[in-house]
Amino acid sequence: MTEESKYSKAADLPEELREHLGALILVLADNKRLLGMRYSDWILGAPALEAGIACSAMAQDEWGHGRIFYAMLRDFGQDPNQLEHGRESPEYRSSELLDGPADGWTDLLALNLLLDSALSVQFEAMAESRFEPVHYKVSKLLDEERFHFEHGRGWVARLGSTESGREAMQRAFAPAWEVCVRWFGPDDDEVARALCDGGLTDKDAAGLRARWLERVAPVVESVGLGLAESDGGAWRSRVEPSWDGWDFELRRGREGGPDADTLVRVRGDKNRSLLMD
Amino acid sequence: MSDGDRLWEVFARRKRADHFEHIGCVEAPNPDLGRVYAWQTYDEAKWFEMIVAPRDAFHPVNRPEQPFTLHPSAEALT
Repeated sequence: MTEESKYSKAADLPEELREHLGALILVLADNKRLLGMRYSDWILGAPALEAGIACSAMAQDEWGHGRIFYAMLRDFGQDPNQLEHGRESPEYRSSELLDGPADGWTDLLALNLLLDSALSVQFEAMAESRFEPVHYKVSKLLDEERFHFEHGRGWVARLGSTESGREAMQRAFAPAWEVCVRWFGPDDDEVARALCDGGLTDKDAAGLRARWLERVAPVVESVGLGLAESDGGAWRSRVEPSWDGWDFELRRGREGGPDADTLVRVRGDKNRSLLMD
Repeated sequence: MSDGDRLWEVFARRKRADHFEHIGCVEAPNPDLGRVYAWQTYDEAKWFEMIVAPRDAFHPVNRPEQPFTLHPSAEALT
């Protein structure tokens, strides 16, 4: 890649790519912010002291990542302060899995292993992005995310060793799987294709979903959750993504958004009077 | 300690030239979680390298009585 082929700021990007990348960054920032909240919900309720500490660390990681990418959107002509504190629920681009708290530990694990990995796969695809501000941030982010994945994998192995644990995971993972398997968009998604063709990511939607499957399917099938299958080659989801109600821009179901309590917390409404800027 | 959990002893060094020091222990059911818990619990320094080993991999040499301890907190956990 030549130096000329890299973009050091958003204004250098062709208009269409700038729009697509700005939208993707907001999707990622929203998911990171909300996922951090879901991890934090379990700091005190986790089944082991160490797991609570891990949730605290993962929450901090996610919030840090969210903050970096909200701030990056300033370069795209958006106001990070408004994005973080001034939006209504339907404007959020976070996954529907994050709209309310994870009710049980296995629900949190589904977010940890399936959704967090989907976000990481999307970031990995930008590790060599021609858009340098993203490229420079992704490597440290992925270093931290490696531990999030291993946390999920470790807990799946632990719970999968008992029949009741496996059944609880099956109940929690099936709905989360359906959401995550479609999160990358349809195979022929034009936005994902354009970002890939433009050198801002390295795979289209089909390629990203395949990469996510390679990551998570061996874990869930090591304990036989029945969500994916492989004949020794590539992993396939046993659930076809459903595009009913899918919103291409929000990368989530069209209906809903973060619930009232979540919105108050994620925007920091209670502390609004203390905002310094 | 719940069923299936093991103690994992955690060692780390700040710089390549340093010796490993024993910095604590965590309890976890498998190496994946042992590694994650160690990294996220003992995050007080920017470690150059961290390793964990199951406590039962250590064999006493001169004091045969059990349990031995590498770290005061380990005694409370056993």
